Amino acid sequence: MSEVLLKNVTKIYDGGNKVVTDANFKVEDKEFVVLVGPSGCGKTTTLRMIAGLEEISSGEIFIDGKLVNNLPPKDRDIAMVFQNYALYPHMTVFENMAFGLKLKKVDKKEIDIRVKEAAKILSLEEYLNRKPKALSGGQRQRVAVGRAIVRKPKVFLFDEPLSNLDAKLRVQMRTEISKLHKQLGATMIYVTHDQTEAMTMGDRIVIMKDGIVNQVDTPLNLYNKPVNQFVAGFIGSPAMNFLSGTISDKSDLTFTSDKSELTFNFSSEQKNYLKEYISQEVVIGIRPEDISIEKTNSKSIEQECVLNVIEPMGNETFIYFEIEKVQFIARVKPLYDIKVGGKIKLYIDPEKIYLFDKKTGNHLFKNS
Amino acid sequence: MIKKYLLYAFLSVTSVITLIPFIWMLGASFMFDGKASVFPPIFLPDPFTIIQYKILFERLNVWTNFFNSLILSTMVTVLYITFTSMAGYAFAKYRFKGKKFLFNLLLSSMIIPSQVTMLPLFLLLKSMGFINTYMAIIIPGLANIFGIFLIRQYCISIPDSLIEAARMDGATDFQIYRKVILPLAVPILVTLAIFSFLGTWNDFLWPLIALTDDSMYTLPVALANLMLEHTKDPELMMAGSVVTVIPVIIAFLALQKYYIKGIMMGSVKE
Repeated sequence: MSEVLLKNVTKIYDGGNKVVTDANFKVEDKEFVVLVGPSGCGKTTTLRMIAGLEEISSGEIFIDGKLVNNLPPKDRDIAMVFQNYALYPHMTVFENMAFGLKLKKVDKKEIDIRVKEAAKILSLEEYLNRKPKALSGGQRQRVAVGRAIVRKPKVFLFDEPLSNLDAKLRVQMRTEISKLHKQLGATMIYVTHDQTEAMTMGDRIVIMKDGIVNQVDTPLNLYNKPVNQFVAGFIGSPAMNFLSGTISDKSDLTFTSDKSELTFNFSSEQKNYLKEYISQEVVIGIRPEDISIEKTNSKSIEQECVLNVIEPMGNETFIYFEIEKVQFIARVKPLYDIKVGGKIKLYIDPEKIYLFDKKTGNHLFKNS
Repeated sequence: MIKKYLLYAFLSVTSVITLIPFIWMLGASFMFDGKASVFPPIFLPDPFTIIQYKILFERLNVWTNFFNSLILSTMVTVLYITFTSMAGYAFAKYRFKGKKFLFNLLLSSMIIPSQVTMLPLFLLLKSMGFINTYMAIIIPGLANIFGIFLIRQYCISIPDSLIEAARMDGATDFQIYRKVILPLAVPILVTLAIFSFLGTWNDFLWPLIALTDDSMYTLPVALANLMLEHTKDPELMMAGSVVTVIPVIIAFLALQKYYIKGIMMGSVKE
């Protein structure tokens, strides 16, 4: 059993700079939780507080039910993998992995067994006598992971471990870490700014912005039921399109964008949520994949647009256009007979639209 | 290409110029009395003799002076490296109150010429009862801001994540210093060790002031005494100089291989 519980954890730096505010979440035993958010959102600080590398200004952190606020890192039984690997350059791969065990005065034979076991899992067996400088980036990162594994800690912490690797290696290491999680059955907390990493690796994701935890949920729930505009815009690639406007009730409940270029009526289910928002300013969100070039739903809104940019990806095409000078992006099937500057008819399914309060950014109804 | 040749020509000429006095010293030390003081200078002894070395070892207690120099230089160097590396590391990586003020205060002490501090230092050591003991040389050499500054600058370039990784691995503060910082700082430590060893070995004025007994003299002080008595003996002086200089050259050659760069390579990715 090794859970991590954060209760109202806050971090204020010496200058009064509040980087984490009232973080509350629980990481269950054997769970893989990803902390994600734009840079400067406090995710790394949160991880470092769990690690004990950063003091907690207020709140409580429990590991395995034990309050660890005042415990030094070495007594928390956790291991951390750093963004820049942080390998000891003067030690061989073996010594790097064995360092923590030697300090704990673990029996030499036991160290040998554990290091070789970790090396086997990470395919590092033939490199044990090399120094870090003789390894490639991916190998170095594996050594850093190995250094964590041999300690058999309660919790693994990863601080953007893949951000220094090239794109191909990153995808490969991503699956390796996921595999490792299953193989070791360990509790892992993983920090990244890359939403793809978060979506593919995490059992659950903690989304942070400006030091505040916005939502803690499974990847699909974050995608389908974002609690606010920030989460909706952060999860999903390409990002969700937003357009502000007002809800009015003339003959029917209607959304009209600021310059009236886009109007549509709501479904009866949506209307239930929206009565109290009549004549209020709202923001609609449309995922790029919910804009199509064919009319799939009889209620779909037809919108004629001028193409600004076309990005053919092979299996699909991203097209960029503007509605009321706001850049929109649509993810459609491959198109061959279109040109930049050309006009195209696009269809937006109103049932798949997200609505947010313009002031608070909160999601107005749960779109399921 | 021409630029390269010019550079090499320049370097060759300057190294020859640098070597001339050294070669002359070596040559003169093997000459009979009066043979070295001629113009133009002669470099090869003719006839060759080791009489000057014999006289040197008869007149001076060279071995005693040699060991005085060796023991003092070694002890000062070891202690100097220990203290400056700890202080430099602390100034680079620890957060504590008054750190900036303390460091600037130490830095500002660099503008005081060492000659100014000699008298108060002498009186201080005298009241401690250390005059004419090894301690009189060792204590003032324990640490200085130059070394602390150099090590601090070097330690700043060591990534924090290495220290944090060691902390996560369960290392205590001293273990981090001993097992991570010191091995990484070897190039700068060797550089400083050479400075400190050479400085102590060659130091003349302070040992002359602080050591009063013949048997406590270091080589340069003993050699200077030789000069006062035998002003007309450049050959003997050169023999003494050779004896003084050779251990230093050996020490330098032994340590210079550690002057290697790139020891940090592969540790972290920036």
